[in-house]
Amino acid sequence: MAIDRPTTNLPAPIPPNRNAPIIIPDSAGDDDLLRQFDMEEHPQGGFHGLLEVIPTKADYILDLIRANSLWPLLSGLSCCAIEMISTATSVNDIDRFGMFPFRASPRQADVLIVAGTLTTKMAGPLVRLWEQMPEPKWCVAMGTCTTSGGRFKRSYSVVQGVDRVMPVDVYVPGCPPRPEGLIHGMMKLHELVKERRGQWRTYVDRGPQRTRWEGDVR
Amino acid sequence: MTKIDPETRIPDPIELDRLEEARLRAAAGLVPARAIGGEYAGFDQVGIPDRPPQTDREREVYSLEEGEMLVNMGPQHPSTHGVMRLVVKVRGEIVVDVDPVLGYLHRGIEKLCENATYTTVLTYVDPMDYLATMHNEHAPAIAFEKLYGIEPPKRAEYIRALVVELNRIFSHGLMMGFLALDMGGITPILYAFINRDEIVDLLSSISGQRMLFNFFRVGGVNFDTNDEFLSRLGTWRGNVLKNIEMNERMITDNEIFRARTMNMGTLTGRDAIALGVTGPNLRASGVPFDVRKAHPYSIYNELDFDVITHESGDSYARYLQRIAEIKQSIHLIDQIIDKMPHGPVQAQVPGIIRPRPGRAYAAIESPRGLYSVYSISDGGPTPYRFRMRDPSFISLQAIPKLMPGRLVADTMAVMASFDPVMGGVDK
Amino acid sequence: MAHLRRPRPATHALGRRRTLSTPVAAGALVRSLTERLGSDLGNLWTDEDTVEFTVDGARNVEVLTTLRDDPDLEFFMLADAAAVDYGTDAHFEVVYHLFSWKHPAWLRVRARVDRANPRVPTVTGLWEGAMFHEREMFDMMGIIFDGNRDLRRIYMSPDYRSFPQRRDFVLPDDAADSPAAGVNPLERPETWDLTRFNEAPAVTFPPSSERDDAPAEGGEGGEGGETLVDKSRPR
Repeated sequence: MAIDRPTTNLPAPIPPNRNAPIIIPDSAGDDDLLRQFDMEEHPQGGFHGLLEVIPTKADYILDLIRANSLWPLLSGLSCCAIEMISTATSVNDIDRFGMFPFRASPRQADVLIVAGTLTTKMAGPLVRLWEQMPEPKWCVAMGTCTTSGGRFKRSYSVVQGVDRVMPVDVYVPGCPPRPEGLIHGMMKLHELVKERRGQWRTYVDRGPQRTRWEGDVR
Repeated sequence: MTKIDPETRIPDPIELDRLEEARLRAAAGLVPARAIGGEYAGFDQVGIPDRPPQTDREREVYSLEEGEMLVNMGPQHPSTHGVMRLVVKVRGEIVVDVDPVLGYLHRGIEKLCENATYTTVLTYVDPMDYLATMHNEHAPAIAFEKLYGIEPPKRAEYIRALVVELNRIFSHGLMMGFLALDMGGITPILYAFINRDEIVDLLSSISGQRMLFNFFRVGGVNFDTNDEFLSRLGTWRGNVLKNIEMNERMITDNEIFRARTMNMGTLTGRDAIALGVTGPNLRASGVPFDVRKAHPYSIYNELDFDVITHESGDSYARYLQRIAEIKQSIHLIDQIIDKMPHGPVQAQVPGIIRPRPGRAYAAIESPRGLYSVYSISDGGPTPYRFRMRDPSFISLQAIPKLMPGRLVADTMAVMASFDPVMGGVDK
Repeated sequence: MAHLRRPRPATHALGRRRTLSTPVAAGALVRSLTERLGSDLGNLWTDEDTVEFTVDGARNVEVLTTLRDDPDLEFFMLADAAAVDYGTDAHFEVVYHLFSWKHPAWLRVRARVDRANPRVPTVTGLWEGAMFHEREMFDMMGIIFDGNRDLRRIYMSPDYRSFPQRRDFVLPDDAADSPAAGVNPLERPETWDLTRFNEAPAVTFPPSSERDDAPAEGGEGGEGGETLVDKSRPR
């Protein structure tokens, strides 16, 4: 087989500069109305993407479609994961609500059900998973460990609630919550999805949204 | 092929975007994103550590020869043992070395228990091995009773043995389901969870909780049997043999299952003992060690059961071992139901117990092996040192010994046959 | 022999008197131990199902080798290896629990380790399965095992700087006292968006005239009916 170019060694890795200020451009800065009413940092000010279009009938149907086929990401950490799987299996079936395919890849998932205790070592990978999920995405904190640290409130290695690292939409209490409780939480999430209500989204650097050519003044 | 002049070619829009992003980042004073993995590559828990290797073994695993590659089966993966990370060094499809990275679920239970009263400790240990909660509570209960110098009433011992064997049955059933799931078969896990839901509803009618049953107390159990429990127990017992047979019929003679488990992950008895593997994994390698027979605790000397072993020591033997143990557990439950005496279910013990200073060690047979508790008391209301030895933690040491030479896809299958539960591994 | 008996509380208070489930032939085991180990043995103590003794940390490999290989003792299985911290002024202890088919008692070997220089020879040469035990003891207590090929942290991150299970590592009393308190949006009222509660509720009840439970009120007029209708989204 012909190799057109010789393989070269990859360049030496450069460690990231963790002290540098992180500048994240966002489109709220261009909006005069927002600036005038001092709403630039308001969670519901600014246009951040598709979710903020004024809802019309077609969007209502789109919301229904989204709500009725929320695909969860398999992120079972601990005991609540077993109850989550029990919710997904035959006796309490969330396939009735369209949530059977637990996606292994975050790129294909809509909702992250954090089921189980989040420890400080696992917080990094979990936030990476959250960042890799494409919008629109929601987060459900299942169980008391993810709501507030739960029974591990004084522990040295448990994150006291997953909302310290990511925005949460629905909290489902219980240790572990019964499958019926998780389904109730999913019903609340359906309401949120249909009403386009949710938590403040972390600002994400989306990069240039379109190609900007030299001398472009648009 | 047409020659394209690199100077005058029309640039690709995506490339232009990347160039502009690099220009913006440089203008902002940020370091350019790394060539591999973009801005996520700085996350040093994913790949090769940025720091020099600390130990000989780490140097051995993380230095790559010609043609080798590190594959990270990261903390989130579809096989549902929990959060474990395996850094697998592969050459092509063949595994050369495995380094398990644990601690993604370490909750500091031992340290929390040093500040909790003895009864509270029994609730803290529940979520360790969350599929075998009754066993998690059984060992500390025995250890605290030794420290305090009492023995629970006979009926309490019988109820303890009953719920412990029920827990063992559904835990082994789940292992069968997860083993098939890790190989891609999705049906057996659904059947295993139906089985589990039936038993768990049974246990919730006696303890009030579906999963982390807070059922054991120092000196007995919390609740006595009630009508709902006995009625569900009878119904369940009528159906269980048929259900177990239905569950195992799907996979035991299945060609694909046999091809993927026979002669895979063969562990000899001598190696298993050296590695500290216990429980069904050890008995499937031929060593007849069962704590219930070796150091009988509770009422196991009064009950009649066999210690079954298999000689081959491969994944298929570990699977068959668990089916045999389910049948033994059903036999034990029959005897318990026959022999259960009347009487109180909890000894008269004060709310906060203060045992005399001393040390106690209690070992029980959990579905994953020898689960033991070593507790030191200093005379106060809380234990001075509370140490749990979890069997899954020690059994994981077999993986780096068994995997080299095998294919990557067999890694999860062999691991599922050892049935580790990360809650117990990471405490 | 009174000093060898486990202390028991007063009989009138508690439960049933404990009976032996396994009669211990402690005599044979104690005799074999004193013959084979002699000077290494310190503080021999026996309970109804356990025999324990103390050794010095530096001698642990020799003692455990004798226990494992001697045909009379044959303690072939290491059941548990634990570390205990007896306080900032006192020593550490590494406690091994061993099992043998020949003796119906658990054997507990307590190896005393200096706190100032917590180094102990490794037993991974005898049992490979002690590797994870020793890594955990290093991670949680800071005891260093000489000769262990892989002594790195197992539970905490590799850059963690403390040893959690030591007695001088204290857990915070209350999450509110910790420096990370108040980070959570639920703990900060200024982040709550109260305008969300001005919308109509998602669940509404039919007007009082149609309800079964409340008695029908005459003369109310139509005012009781309108506020209960949800017009926040198309239905």
